Amino acid sequence: MQHVTITINGTKVSCDVPDETLLVTLLREHLNLTGTHVGCDTTQCGCCVVHLNGKSVKSCTVLAAQAQDGEVTTVEGLAQKDGTLHPMQEAFHQLHALQCGYCTPGMIMAAVNLVDTYPEPLTEEIVREQMEGNLCRCTGYHNIVKAILAVAAAKQGDADKRPALAGVE
Amino acid sequence: MLAEQIFKSVGKPVPRNEDQRLITGKGRFSDDFSLPGQIWAAMVRSPHPHARIVSIDKTEALKMPGVLAVYTGADCRNDGLKAIPHNPVPSTKYDVKLRGPGDTEVFAGPNVLLPEDKARHVGEAVAMVVAETLEQAQSGAEQVAIDYEVLPWVANSEEAAKPDAPRLWDEIPSNLLVDSFFGDEAATAKAFAAAAHVVTMKSHVGRVTGVPLEPRAALAHFDPATQRYTIYAGSGGAVRQKQELAAVLGIDPKNVRVLSFDVGGNFGTRNRSFVEFGLVMWASKKLGRPVKFRAERSEAFLTDYQGRDLVTEVSLALDKDGRFLAMRASNLSNVGARCVSLSPLSKGSGLITGSYNIPIATLHARAVFSNTMPTQAYRSSGRPEVTYAIERLVDKAARELGFDRFELRRRNLVHAEQMPYTNAVGSIYDSGEYEKNMARALEIGDAAGFAARRAEAKSRGKLLGLGFANYVESSIGSPKERADLIVRKDLIEIVIGTQPAGQGHETSFAQVTADLLGVPFEQVKITLGDTDIVTAGGGTHSGRSMRHASTVIALGSVDLIAKGKALLAHLENVPLDKVEFEDGVFRVAGSNRALSWFELSPLADQGGLPVELQGGLRVRRDNEMHTPVYPNGACLCEIEVDPETGATDIKRYTSIDDVGRCINPLIVHGQTHGAIAQGVGQALWEECAIDPASGQPLMGSFMDYGMPRFDNLPSFKSEIAEVLSPTNPFGVKAGGEGGTTGALAVITSAIDDALSDYGHPHIDMPITPIKIWNAIQDYKNHHKAT
Repeated sequence: MQHVTITINGTKVSCDVPDETLLVTLLREHLNLTGTHVGCDTTQCGCCVVHLNGKSVKSCTVLAAQAQDGEVTTVEGLAQKDGTLHPMQEAFHQLHALQCGYCTPGMIMAAVNLVDTYPEPLTEEIVREQMEGNLCRCTGYHNIVKAILAVAAAKQGDADKRPALAGVE
Repeated sequence: MLAEQIFKSVGKPVPRNEDQRLITGKGRFSDDFSLPGQIWAAMVRSPHPHARIVSIDKTEALKMPGVLAVYTGADCRNDGLKAIPHNPVPSTKYDVKLRGPGDTEVFAGPNVLLPEDKARHVGEAVAMVVAETLEQAQSGAEQVAIDYEVLPWVANSEEAAKPDAPRLWDEIPSNLLVDSFFGDEAATAKAFAAAAHVVTMKSHVGRVTGVPLEPRAALAHFDPATQRYTIYAGSGGAVRQKQELAAVLGIDPKNVRVLSFDVGGNFGTRNRSFVEFGLVMWASKKLGRPVKFRAERSEAFLTDYQGRDLVTEVSLALDKDGRFLAMRASNLSNVGARCVSLSPLSKGSGLITGSYNIPIATLHARAVFSNTMPTQAYRSSGRPEVTYAIERLVDKAARELGFDRFELRRRNLVHAEQMPYTNAVGSIYDSGEYEKNMARALEIGDAAGFAARRAEAKSRGKLLGLGFANYVESSIGSPKERADLIVRKDLIEIVIGTQPAGQGHETSFAQVTADLLGVPFEQVKITLGDTDIVTAGGGTHSGRSMRHASTVIALGSVDLIAKGKALLAHLENVPLDKVEFEDGVFRVAGSNRALSWFELSPLADQGGLPVELQGGLRVRRDNEMHTPVYPNGACLCEIEVDPETGATDIKRYTSIDDVGRCINPLIVHGQTHGAIAQGVGQALWEECAIDPASGQPLMGSFMDYGMPRFDNLPSFKSEIAEVLSPTNPFGVKAGGEGGTTGALAVITSAIDDALSDYGHPHIDMPITPIKIWNAIQDYKNHHKAT
């Protein structure tokens, strides 16, 4: 057994888990944070992406013990305490960047990290290349790309580059 | 048809009601549920494509830590469990009638939960282990000792159709379970004999699977006090699951509660029951604890229902001017080890002539068993296959006979003034403007600028191809739907039996209701997916939901308004014709008495009302609607091929889709994008490949199955056309499947065009770089030699 202490969505959590416990298992099974999903067995789909110490990680491929003393943010911890959505959540909603919603938590967490950390202005090509580790079966990615670029453009203060909200081409 | 003036919400790109929970991690997917004391099930799966089960020894497995039980097919039989009643033959009035060889009933092969006699495909569950934890159940499963007698197997449909093929079922004389002819053979033969030209093609539209990102899962609980089962299991229709699972267990359906809230993708492959659902219910009663099953992705690849797998041979007869005279097709569908659904074969059969005016056609439709996972309807079941066949044939005819491929299509399209149009196999196309679609697709896709783009690509050593396809598809689906319309304190609730997996019913149905009842969109709530609340309904498949829901809600709204008027007339003691309803308000003529739904509703709950006004301000409406609709459209794409590597790059993709009335363009465009991606995936990368030497499936993970990804798709240019269907009050057709229907044809057409310098090689899908590269090398070698 491992005794792990991790700050999850701002709250310090301590518990004893079997050595082999994955971070995603800790979140879903032990802490009932079921927003983080599992879509494969091989670190391919990205449904389980969370932030660990400011980086997006696939939580199916991180042991809970590796997150010891770390800070984890899951999709449940992304909005502000008063319920105000993160701009990425808002953009996903406005631009219909989700359908069934199963890939969405991982998709949003990966997209937030991309916009926050990519050193250059994002283009469609960069977004498509950088997000390649997240799979979606419903949207054809079209509106997800649009949402990420909208958030990136807003962040750069370049409102002119924002695609029209709820736009129909 | 409803007057457009009432539409305030319908037609608007309203962001979805579903999103709030899904973007904040509060969705309710099957695996998100856990119950106190739950235990876990793991399946022991056949490693062989075909093997007799000689014996199953549970001894070692039962000694493993945490293992509580091991169950086999004999245990299922001893407890009287029945096969899943899949009812595979489509049965509405308008489905083509598929029959067994010699005009017999179709034999489907009973889908018992665990077989006793043989395993018929790799991955078939042959035993179940239940243990305290998932890991213990999986470890236990590894210790179940099964003695198999390995049998000869067959996976390929053409091989399976041969008389000497290994046979899956002793009940019928060969693997052939469907053998039907449609159309006028004598007239077809005459037309072919008189034709100036005949073009033919044979192709295999390969096998793929739905790959919903949520692996299937089920959690079942039996309550001895009430003798009821509860199962949390996402699907394409909770009511259907309830009926089928009750039949499997041999119990009254009222003792089953199915909960199907958020469903992480369906695409058809989740419509039918899976054996694990019945197994966890059964085990939960036997062991007195909730039992959970969760498929791993590798199990999903092996045992989620699969789709397509059709061998098609088609011929088209033309006169000297390029007019289509007749068509002949022979389709062979691979249903896998059991027949779960013949929807793909049936749907395709009704549409073999595509968007064209082909007066005479015949079709030979056959289906065979094989040692593979059963196939099922997969997005646009049957229609992409036949669209691929006719569109490829038209491209080929144009090329071989020297016609312009666009002109040849224009010359033969069904004209708008021919609507409703009865095609050569009896399908009645309800409405559509096919020529307009085609012209619009060429315009917005800038076909005129293609030559310049091709020249630019050539200057970089690349081959740019332009693909084009018209399509028409059919939406039929389960004919019955029910809606409860209930006026609550401050909102109107609609309870309905469709089952979305991302299609946004909580939004688009609310838009429809809001306009029909004159209330704000925000004051409508849609309830789905709990069979203790949703009492009937046909689920979601075949593009049926928007059309069926809008129709039954429209009919229910008339009833609800009538009840509201009668109630107010009674309360005010005025004749019924003195009460008016407009824009959400009931008024008594000649007075200033005016009540909203929410002011009237509490008055409906008081005592002393006449019997017909009792029960509150609510109505239940059932509707049965068999008449199909025919969504249609056109698509255009440009693909760049690198002749050095065979790599493909989709540069542009344009589509125009006539969905009838578009309730929510935001949602419909999203459906189009996703549908295109799934069609592109099949055309370029996806394949449930089976090793021809061993019969082993070769795809067990996302590392082996070619998914559409961010970096291999372009952004799409999609446009909606709204030619209203005359068959239902809103004029709805369907918007979920058109994107896929034309995609196989248009992608193949583009690559074919790109390879025009290399002799237009026929390449079966998926058209991977290695196949393209080999085709180019073959051409070069051949031309070097001659």
